[in-house]
Amino acid sequence: MSVTPSTPMVEAIGVCKSYGGVEVLKGVNLTVNRGEVTCLIGPSGSGKSTLLRCVNHLEKHDAGELLVDGNLVGYEERDGKLYERNDKQICRERAQIGMVFQRFNLFAHLTVLDNVTIGQVKVRGISADQAARRARELLERVGLAAKEKNYPSQLSGGQQQRVAIARALAMDPKLMLFDEPTSALDPELVGEVLDVMKDLAQSGMTMMVVTHEMNFAREVADTLYFLDHGVIEESGEPREVLAHPSSERLRSFLSKVL
Amino acid sequence: MPTNGDAELRVVPVRHVGRWIGAVVALVGVAMLVHTLLSKVPTGQVACHVVNGARRCHPIVNWRFSWNIVFHYFSTRDILNGLVLTLELTVMAMAVGIVLGVVIAIMRLSHSRLLSSVAWSYTWFFRGTPVYVQLLFWFNISALYPSLTLGIPFTSITFLHINATALFTPATAAVVALGLNEAAYMSEIARSGLIAVDEGQIEAATSIGMTRSQTMRLVVLPQAMRVIIPPTGNEVISMLKTTSLAAAISVVELLGAAINIYSANYEVMALLIVASLWYLIVTTVLSTGQFYLERHFAKGSLRTPPPTPLARLRGDLVGIARTIRASRGLTRRGATS
Repeated sequence: MSVTPSTPMVEAIGVCKSYGGVEVLKGVNLTVNRGEVTCLIGPSGSGKSTLLRCVNHLEKHDAGELLVDGNLVGYEERDGKLYERNDKQICRERAQIGMVFQRFNLFAHLTVLDNVTIGQVKVRGISADQAARRARELLERVGLAAKEKNYPSQLSGGQQQRVAIARALAMDPKLMLFDEPTSALDPELVGEVLDVMKDLAQSGMTMMVVTHEMNFAREVADTLYFLDHGVIEESGEPREVLAHPSSERLRSFLSKVL
Repeated sequence: MPTNGDAELRVVPVRHVGRWIGAVVALVGVAMLVHTLLSKVPTGQVACHVVNGARRCHPIVNWRFSWNIVFHYFSTRDILNGLVLTLELTVMAMAVGIVLGVVIAIMRLSHSRLLSSVAWSYTWFFRGTPVYVQLLFWFNISALYPSLTLGIPFTSITFLHINATALFTPATAAVVALGLNEAAYMSEIARSGLIAVDEGQIEAATSIGMTRSQTMRLVVLPQAMRVIIPPTGNEVISMLKTTSLAAAISVVELLGAAINIYSANYEVMALLIVASLWYLIVTTVLSTGQFYLERHFAKGSLRTPPPTPLARLRGDLVGIARTIRASRGLTRRGATS
């Protein structure tokens, strides 16, 4: 498949995934355009996180087609057959997709600076000096330049999450995935992380965000998807969808979270 | 210090009576031990000499613990050679144990059912039989396999042919036996360390494009070390002492050297003390090393690393000095008021 600027960054067509007989995704269709922010909302267990994890192949989807940047995730189509990609190829694909986790998952044994340089040096083969320079730039951008020598355990949750964003950005990703990035934070720390994400969105990064922050979704997202029981129940322009939910399920969900 | 208006009140600390009694009992015990260690006993022999024409005799006394003999043999060449061999056996057996142990632990956690069962069986076998039996087994292995051949399995192509008796010297047999046995224990230690690393760390490493082996080397193992190091230190110390079993298959390590000497001069206790003192010295050095190693690998998990013994001593001294100064100040104030 040829990649043109109009090719969506992520395209899911009937993606299915089940864990030991439990269907978590039941044929999800979704499109994420380049330079746009897509938010996924929905009750817990609706499959939002699973979908996100399928996009960078942390989970393997069972059926359907999932394309990132015009390429099938985890497979290669040749001569009318699907060849499963080997570990090395999958790693190369993943390196171009940044991911930010609910529980930050910073490398606990490394300093803040080393957390941001390790991927550049070990995966992209960039020199240590250059990686450190880039890391300092990114730490500056997320407002943590002063913390480069600290260990993650010495930072607040909000600071850790901002380092995690810097770590993902250090790989120069073409797509950023956020898996409930503010759910594990104390309420007063949510703002600082959302600010960094807004800044990132304004810089034109393509983002897929699983979130419970409806205000963020309303303000920043270009497209909003509401997932429930493994299917996309509703989607569209966020203000429109949130103001006039057409399905009963979204109405009841919104009445609980707003 | 709590104050009552402008008059400063003296604070009377709680008296810990039980603690004092315990301390006295312990002190008496220590005094008895020192006394018996330094006591002298009659040897049953009598020494006589003539003083001013009169013949005077008195019984010869000697250290109960034969310290003079201990001192004499403490740094003889044979003992020191034995000590070196003990250290060599410990290092080599632990090296085999740690490397193989980590491999077995990773196999045990593998998604392949076959690999994990092989790893499980290994641990089951080597933990389930006494290390002494294993030692004798490897010592006598040439009875089972008179020669060893390196080649392609199940074909007649061979590259190398070795006489097993020549290869399995007592020392080799000891390293193989102790190392393989240790691997079973090390694999459990390594496995607990690997399991202790949060799943999220692996996901994060994977998400920035690290391969499985990079994730293991750069993220999982360094963090597992924090859990693995303390029990491994214990294993090293334990191994140091277990190498003494090799004396039974005629390896002249530290204990073997001591036995060789006392079977000639019958100074059994003195030479056992010599060996014990050396074991104590080495284990003390190893424990100190373990402390600093643990401190190094605790990086990132603790906000403040534990103080080194020196720092702690300095802290204690400062504390004592402060107490003395404070109590002086208190009396002076008490005297003037």
